[in-house]
Amino acid sequence: MTFDETLAEQIRMCAACPKMCRHVCPTFFAWRSDSPTPHGRALLIHQSIIGTREIDERGIEVLFQCLECSHCLTWCKPEIDIATIVEEQRRVLVAEERRPKGLDEMALAIKQYHNPYSEPHASRNNWLSIKKKKEGKSLFYFTGCTAAYREQEIASSTVELLESLGYRISIGNGSSDEWCCGSPLFRTGDIELGLEQARHNTQMLNELDVEAIVVTCPGCFRVLSKDYPEHGLVLNKPVRHISELLDEIKDHLPAADFEGKITYHDPCHLGRHSNIYDAPRNVIKQVSHSNLTEMERTRDNAMCCGNGAGLRTLFPEHAKKIGMERVQQAKQSGASILVTSCPFCKNMLQSQSGNDLTVLDLPELVLQAKRSRKVKTH
Amino acid sequence: MLDSKTVKKLHKRLVSIVGTDYVHQQETDRVLNAHDAWPLSEAKLRSGEILPLADLIVYPATREEVSAILVAANEMEIPITPVGGGAGTCGGTLPIYGGIQLDLKRMSKIYEIDNQSMTIRAQAGVVGIDLEETANRHGYTLGHTPTSLRASNLGGFIATRSGGSMSSLYGKIEDLTLGLEVVLPDGSIIECKSVPRHSVGPDLRQLFIGSEGTLGVITEATLRLFPLPEERRFRSFSFPDIHSGLEAIRNIFRIGINPSIVRLYDPEDAAMSFSMHFEFEEGHCMLLLGFDGDIAHVNLDEDKSVDICNNHGGTDLGEGPSKRWWEHRYDMYYPTRLTTSGYAIGDTIDIVATYDKLENVYHSMKKVMEATGAIVMSHFSHMYQNGGSIYMIFFTSQPDAETAWAIYKKIWDDGVAACLKEGGTMSHQHGVGLSRSTYVDDELGSAFQVLKKIKESLDPKGIMNPGKLGLGVRK
Repeated sequence: MTFDETLAEQIRMCAACPKMCRHVCPTFFAWRSDSPTPHGRALLIHQSIIGTREIDERGIEVLFQCLECSHCLTWCKPEIDIATIVEEQRRVLVAEERRPKGLDEMALAIKQYHNPYSEPHASRNNWLSIKKKKEGKSLFYFTGCTAAYREQEIASSTVELLESLGYRISIGNGSSDEWCCGSPLFRTGDIELGLEQARHNTQMLNELDVEAIVVTCPGCFRVLSKDYPEHGLVLNKPVRHISELLDEIKDHLPAADFEGKITYHDPCHLGRHSNIYDAPRNVIKQVSHSNLTEMERTRDNAMCCGNGAGLRTLFPEHAKKIGMERVQQAKQSGASILVTSCPFCKNMLQSQSGNDLTVLDLPELVLQAKRSRKVKTH
Repeated sequence: MLDSKTVKKLHKRLVSIVGTDYVHQQETDRVLNAHDAWPLSEAKLRSGEILPLADLIVYPATREEVSAILVAANEMEIPITPVGGGAGTCGGTLPIYGGIQLDLKRMSKIYEIDNQSMTIRAQAGVVGIDLEETANRHGYTLGHTPTSLRASNLGGFIATRSGGSMSSLYGKIEDLTLGLEVVLPDGSIIECKSVPRHSVGPDLRQLFIGSEGTLGVITEATLRLFPLPEERRFRSFSFPDIHSGLEAIRNIFRIGINPSIVRLYDPEDAAMSFSMHFEFEEGHCMLLLGFDGDIAHVNLDEDKSVDICNNHGGTDLGEGPSKRWWEHRYDMYYPTRLTTSGYAIGDTIDIVATYDKLENVYHSMKKVMEATGAIVMSHFSHMYQNGGSIYMIFFTSQPDAETAWAIYKKIWDDGVAACLKEGGTMSHQHGVGLSRSTYVDDELGSAFQVLKKIKESLDPKGIMNPGKLGLGVRK
């Protein structure tokens, strides 16, 4: 049985809740129906557990519409983690070979190319120039697929920034061959293929002679620091998110005058999933002379960007609608710069930002400050 | 349920109005969208029952689309159940005769705030909390804060004649609604202009406020706004019994004070809600008061209220219990292990009466409800100059579904009968829906024929939310 009695009880409670969290569910926002909602998904699973109804093709679609952003959990007094429950159910559906076809393609791409974008593996990091330094704290930068292929500014800014701060950076290339971290697979229930990536990465990372691993992607951060160990794959060196690393040395970071106010979008995997809220804010305040303004929905109440857990793969228009709303919330704060700390979030938010909002990832912002260049907004 | 040929024809017609994406026919969608917040629905879902399903769900975005859908339903004589947030507690949105569920959630535009007139105009499908937060951003409050605020929407507020926890000061939705747009069953769109008062015959707005989708579909409304209060202050008193607490409340209103919050918990509810957090004498009732306004006004109201409470035997407990209730006011709405295990079911019969009848209604209802073996605890809330509401809360747990649903019905039947016998009215703010539908005849008496005739005139084919509000019940 997939769900033990405790989980089954939680699912039953969620299934018949008077919808206390629905108002923050991003897929409810996108569809405006009671189907793609936390209680809708719980009801599907509850009915399956007690034998009322099997999960049909439409039910599968509803379950795979969940962004696993865990915003519902913020508003759930009984603390029912429906995202994790949905992920459990996805594992069953993947094992039964019933996941949506669009995700088969994504999984196949990761299997073949070690990235979900079907890009040649050889070109993953070979474009990044690394200085051959002999001194400084040694860090391995696990770039992640999105910064490697889609948001290369983030990867290049990260390397340039960290090197300028005195770190000795190495990246996945040649013998130290970085694969997809497996996050898209873990989150969509494909544990088997996810673990294939994880085992490779664990072995590769554990053979490295570096002091720490740094990541810019919260999806990577979560799987490396939580999912890998949960499956017995323990890394022998610390994994640091770039925001934590920069926060630790914030006194050494430069400060600059930014044109317009800055606001910060909490990535779900960094905030709600990893409880890192202050580090990126501390960094932004340091480099901008405290020019940070918050959105109404912030920290553990931050709206998801819409780019997670396969939603953009399966339902691009709805994902963009969510991203657009988050951009509107940023604009409503009066900010002209939206900073996030996630290549995936940046990718979505920038695509919806229009001409009156500049979207930057955290290392990009810090690098801009370091270059003492006024960040011109549109 | 409709035959497959009719469903096919209807589907085609609805798709021509709103497009393919907004007509849902699949069973999963129909099951998930049948889910309202009626405790009996929730108990049935938990126990594995399937709620009544519509044949199709349609999601219009404009008044014109609503109109075209009603024209189609009228021509084809198909039942149509409007759905707002699906947060009703009386089964009002359950499509018990199948047909169409007309879901208004896509109609979520907030059009404008009029600062000069202090009003807000929005489509019916906007969720309550989104509307309130928008008002807050402009320095206003709707003054309408039902516990369901995160799930219920504007159309549902109005259709069920709902009330918020601060209705003593701000009023219920019938007091807050200035303008209304309604699509009638024949598809015609009518507007009740937004005006503070008028003398042009009967107030037609009030015909549709509380009509629960039986007379038409509310598509847009203009509500009053209030400036966010400079001060919100809390005060709490314990009283030795219901009578002394009610007397204090009555006298507070009598001298012209309108607290924003007035809640008197009977000994059982006081023990349940506050004894874990505050010291007060066992067996005492708990009165919570809240005051909104500018500081000078609040000072005056609070001082006078404190005097009245002291003069009626109250013990001053400071702001603690009242403030705690405010900060945790949504907590009781969440499911708990106790209330969702096995065949457990709890519900609230929210009744209303004038002061001269209120205590008798309370004692009579409590007596008959407890006679079924149910746990009963109550509070008086939503109090006014002339009387107020009682939340008669009950809980029962039975070994099997059949017994549980039967006991549940008996508690309702006996509770409402006792209320009516003592001169109370069976619903203050939750509406009628399905759970109270069979009592409307007794409640309204000879006046019911007026409502029936209006229904026959506006909806001669009886397509609008049949079986609710005691109207259009089919065999």
